[in-house]
Amino acid sequence: MLSRVAEHLYWMARSLERAEDTARLIIATSRVLLDLPRGASFGWDVLVRIVGLNRRFDESYPSHDEGNIMRFLVADLGNPSSILSCIQAARENSRRLRDVLPRACWERINAMYLNARADAARITGRSDRNCMLEELIMRRQGIDGLLSECMSHDIAYQFIRLGEHLERADMTTRIVDIHAAVLVPRQQVPEDPTIALLWVGVLRSLSAFQMYRRHGNVQITSAGVVNFLVKDAHFPRSVRYCLDKIESHLSELPHHATSLRALRRTQRLVDGMNLDSLAPAVRHEYLDAVQSDLARIHDEVAQGYFHYCDDQSGPLRTEAA
Amino acid sequence: MSLDLQRYPLAEAYDELVDKDHVPRPAARALLEYLQELGDEQLQARRAAVDAAIVTMGITFTIYSDGENIDRPWPFDPIPRIMTGTEWWRIERGLKQRLTALNLFIDDLYNAQRVVRDKVFPAELLASSRNFRKDCTGVLPRFGVWAHICGTDLVRDRDGTVYVLEDNLRVPSGVSYMLENRLLMKSFLPELFEACPILPIDAYTAQLYEMLAALSPRQGERPVIAVLTPGVYNSAYFEHSYLAQQMGADLVEGADLVMGVDDCVYTKTIDGLRRVDVIYRRIDDDFLDPDTFRPDSVLGVRGLMRAWRRGKVGIANAPGAGVADDKVVYTFVPKLIRYYLGEDPIIPNVPSYLCMDEAERGYVLANLDKLVVKPANESGGYGMLVGPHASPLERVRCAERVRADPRNYMAQPTLALSTAPTLVGDSWAPRHVDLRPFVLQSSGICVTTGGLTRVAMREGSLVVNSSQGGGSKDTWIVEGRD
Repeated sequence: MLSRVAEHLYWMARSLERAEDTARLIIATSRVLLDLPRGASFGWDVLVRIVGLNRRFDESYPSHDEGNIMRFLVADLGNPSSILSCIQAARENSRRLRDVLPRACWERINAMYLNARADAARITGRSDRNCMLEELIMRRQGIDGLLSECMSHDIAYQFIRLGEHLERADMTTRIVDIHAAVLVPRQQVPEDPTIALLWVGVLRSLSAFQMYRRHGNVQITSAGVVNFLVKDAHFPRSVRYCLDKIESHLSELPHHATSLRALRRTQRLVDGMNLDSLAPAVRHEYLDAVQSDLARIHDEVAQGYFHYCDDQSGPLRTEAA
Repeated sequence: MSLDLQRYPLAEAYDELVDKDHVPRPAARALLEYLQELGDEQLQARRAAVDAAIVTMGITFTIYSDGENIDRPWPFDPIPRIMTGTEWWRIERGLKQRLTALNLFIDDLYNAQRVVRDKVFPAELLASSRNFRKDCTGVLPRFGVWAHICGTDLVRDRDGTVYVLEDNLRVPSGVSYMLENRLLMKSFLPELFEACPILPIDAYTAQLYEMLAALSPRQGERPVIAVLTPGVYNSAYFEHSYLAQQMGADLVEGADLVMGVDDCVYTKTIDGLRRVDVIYRRIDDDFLDPDTFRPDSVLGVRGLMRAWRRGKVGIANAPGAGVADDKVVYTFVPKLIRYYLGEDPIIPNVPSYLCMDEAERGYVLANLDKLVVKPANESGGYGMLVGPHASPLERVRCAERVRADPRNYMAQPTLALSTAPTLVGDSWAPRHVDLRPFVLQSSGICVTTGGLTRVAMREGSLVVNSSQGGGSKDTWIVEGRD
């Protein structure tokens, strides 16, 4: 596998995952907003903070109104993490992967892009926006199914899943951290009904509500939700599950010792967290540490595979000698 | 409306599907009758479905002047061009004959130069050839073949004669569109494929693979083949990735390759370096190797020429093959066929005037309004003058260029290129077409069944080049007689 191709595969998957996660986040937040009591402190700007782009947003937009935030998160090509930018990036990456991916994959990503571009103008109305985002998620799931069922689970496939799960783990930690982003300053009592509503929104954004009820707890409590989304071993969007997936995909790759070391460190970090009794601020620090660790896994993967030959002229000289 | 043969506005030129009495040619009868019965609604619905498929499938061709838009949908006309097997098999023999002679010629030029000593090919032409690469002299590629893939442009004149218009021996493109057109056609008119004996064309990619594999320096092992592309912004990137995909080859860019101290070429992989046996390069000689050719090239690989000269890697087409892809050299091909093969050319050249010859140049300059003037070394229709369609100013400019550099120009009478029925709006009209078959040669030689029919979409236009906004059609070779 060419290093450049591996890198395109990885970023294609990360971009698609980011587009889907952002879409989920927006849909769930919109729903929560409808349920909130008057005067509750919750604004659209939370979304920008969750994805860590508040500074970039403030530089380009004058106010935090819904229209601006949606333009920024969905359609703004100046924001490299906007949904449209992500789909475009996925498309440009996959354009270079036509010889590696099943043919229909490029066609579907291309169709997804053409569709999103045409729909981008309609994002200001909530109902149109919801339809557009729901469709996007469905298309993404279609692509996922196509890859999982019509592509050999070869090295190329491992890089796709690796990128996907790294991105997803990162996004889940951010979404869980919504709690800190919104409510920490207000120091409310932990089981305030408004907070429960927020947690329902968080669960919904990750399609986790039903599974939480089934496998976690019928009660919506902060500790219950955070534990489920961070440490559950079977829910596909939990941090722990994503890390286990990253482990199994890394294991399929050659010379994976260093990246696996970084991964296991993160697993230990997550396993050792006691999330039941922590103050929100401490929890925020924990999640922050997980994000830094994920960034480190990314660095190891980039170093070990995308730039592998750049760093060593060694094998070349040995072979010649 | 709906299509009505009686009202088909035949032009003066030969029409590929309809004779001058508005009667379908025998091979086209089934198609034309079917189209006329299809009805307007069906026709438009299918056309819309095909257009949508082109966009979704992402069959694109980039036009450099089109700014940021690198995805211009491939302009496809859904009415196929049809040729009978009898006519085609003769053309196929002619193409094999022509490429065999051209390869003998190239090999000769870079080695003994018998053809120059025997005064069949003028020494001064060789001396002034821009595409003759001194760095290639003395190299003996496998099978003596330099031009492994040739796209030959054929045109038909008023009287029905088929001529060779030019040989593309550098990096001819279009074959992926030929293959895609057939796929599109099968969804546009699936019924006809049952009714007509249309010969299949899909052997091409397997043949291309076999041809390339035969060039591997490590025979007996499964060769590592790489398609070398200039990158995603190249007009034919779609084709590069398509061919790599179809052959299971690596699609590589210059930066993915590196030379070893053993003079072998390697790709940079996630698990270290991997030796490459054969490179199907889709970049021009100039950019192949900054050590040998243009030093500022970032598309190629430093040291690649050394690897090739030492036989460590096969390159198709071989560097230097473009020496025979020159519109002035073109005029010598009939002579070369006689010289190397002792045979008469099966497909004639278009009569041509060489501007380096004083008398012929005088004729060209006096008749610019009737002739097509072509620079020797451009491709894609760039720098060409179509006399009858040019403005007086364009002709004056052209005359200046010819006088300044006569070696670099040749001229041909303006042929009345044949036409074929083409969907225009909700009706059909004749549009000029040519035909580009692709010929493969290494251990053996083979030709695509038919080729890519290119069509000038504007009324009256004779310029079919994709880079100039031309479109294309599926090409059917059907068994049977004329």
